[in-house]
Amino acid sequence: MAVSLQKGGNVSLTKEAPGLSKVIVGLGWDPRATDGTDFDLDASVFICGEDGKVLSDGHFVFYNNTKSPDGSVEHTGDNRTGAGEGDDEQVKVDLGKVPAEVKKLVFAVTIHEAAARKQNFGQVGNAFMRVINQDGDKELARYDLSEDYSVETAMIFGEVYRHNDEWKFKAIGAGFEGGLGPLASSHGVNLG
Amino acid sequence: MTTLAMGANAPLPSLTFALDVLLPQGAGIDVTALQLYANGKVRGDGDMCFFNQKTIGGGAVSLSISADKQSFAFDLAKVGSDVDKIVVNATLDNGAFSSVRDLKIVTSDGIEMPVDTSDRSEAALILCEIYRRNDQWKIRNVSQGFNGGLQALAEHFGVEVAAPAAAPAAQASPAPAAKPASVPETPRSTVNLSKVSLTKQESTISLKKADGKFGRIRVNLNWNQKPKPGGFFGMGKRSIDLDLGAFIEFQTGEKGVVQALGNSFGDLNNMPFTKLMADDRSGTSTDGEWLEINGDAWPSFRRILIVAFIYEGVANWQETDGVIRMMVPGQPEIEVRMNELSTSRKDVMCAVALLENDNNQIRVSREVRFFNGHEQVDRAYGWGLAWRAGRK
Repeated sequence: MAVSLQKGGNVSLTKEAPGLSKVIVGLGWDPRATDGTDFDLDASVFICGEDGKVLSDGHFVFYNNTKSPDGSVEHTGDNRTGAGEGDDEQVKVDLGKVPAEVKKLVFAVTIHEAAARKQNFGQVGNAFMRVINQDGDKELARYDLSEDYSVETAMIFGEVYRHNDEWKFKAIGAGFEGGLGPLASSHGVNLG
Repeated sequence: MTTLAMGANAPLPSLTFALDVLLPQGAGIDVTALQLYANGKVRGDGDMCFFNQKTIGGGAVSLSISADKQSFAFDLAKVGSDVDKIVVNATLDNGAFSSVRDLKIVTSDGIEMPVDTSDRSEAALILCEIYRRNDQWKIRNVSQGFNGGLQALAEHFGVEVAAPAAAPAAQASPAPAAKPASVPETPRSTVNLSKVSLTKQESTISLKKADGKFGRIRVNLNWNQKPKPGGFFGMGKRSIDLDLGAFIEFQTGEKGVVQALGNSFGDLNNMPFTKLMADDRSGTSTDGEWLEINGDAWPSFRRILIVAFIYEGVANWQETDGVIRMMVPGQPEIEVRMNELSTSRKDVMCAVALLENDNNQIRVSREVRFFNGHEQVDRAYGWGLAWRAGRK
């Protein structure tokens, strides 16, 4: 039985699955059932050091840069509408290969062209983030965000971070003003 | 006052509250509330609160309609434990919501939800949802909808809609009996959503009944009762008082008038088989004036002219935004809006609708013609009554 987290809660992934090495981070939401422009949600990962900034621009993994330089983090692609079972976007993380200077992986989801389309997370149903053990596909932890957002257009869903010798997962559920650009800048990404 | 933007949610402070959908004047908008279960669908007709069924869930949700707002009274303690949420929707008779300005939802608990209608192509909108979360009732401004209008909205929530028909449609079947919880498939049902709006273009409808007995026919006159400010310091501020009445003619040639003037309230079980229910001149009644016709006596009627008149106040019909609704058991509701311009401020009377006996069918015609008094109406329609001045 996976651990269900509330906003602010955390769980030790290492304790949930001793010997854990590879995980899949799944992000999902309901597709739009009503008429109007589809919700196009994008997941991004910021691979950050001690200072909370990305190690390099290449450590910002998103739809235009689907793999980190060391290959430890891989974004498996964009699902444009959210249709289909389970996760809408998945990020594969090989925890054993994550460089030692990395302290945390920050998972964010942004709504593409939210302002122009007059969309926000409050209109998107049942958003979640979960962590799955690649070895056996067992779900280790899940965070359902749907009551922790309203008018935001960019959200940090959660973090996978090092704590002593463990990997932990924390449910963040924090909104961010302005979309993907400002969110990336705040994590030290140099935008061209 | 808490303002919830599109997508925002908030806990509801109390279990009993009113939710007003404030409508711009003259917009043909209907509101509905649906009780939804865990699968996001209704189970039957009994889950739909709308103009043909004003109370659901044993009083959990009730609808009252007036000219400038449609109001739901919620008593969430009465909501069944298997109900997941209640959605409140608005649907347009014609066009898209981009044509509607100033649509707003306000609760008696001080929660306000503006609806941004600019560039909206939808003809039906889910305005808000009232839902359970961790034993707490919450409300969310949804503001999403369907270009396909009420039909698309109803189908989305599992309500099967009868095809719209100008001819009388079947009455909504009673809600199905509760099924054991183990039955996975919820029964589909059909709700009659038809409402006939008589317009200049489509100005008549015939109601058929094999035996010519139509049951209790109810006629409602409602109007915008908001007082208009006038004069210094609001002196002279007063609301317009509209009166409802009927000119009646029987097959025998007998004639009469039912109206508050002269205390001619009529009688439902004896001649003239028509009764004005009450004359509320206080302006506090929000659902206007009611007239009832004994439809079982319809074969003996030749014709009835429904009239509205302004007893006091300026004859500014546009400002009254009046509407006559006629409810015949088992028939679609008929609505006539008094949205024409009268040519003279002396026009204190409006002939709104004419009901004629056509082989024991009721042929309803939209009239909306303005006159300066009873005598002028009488002459125009050839009623042939004798007139003298009277006061209520």
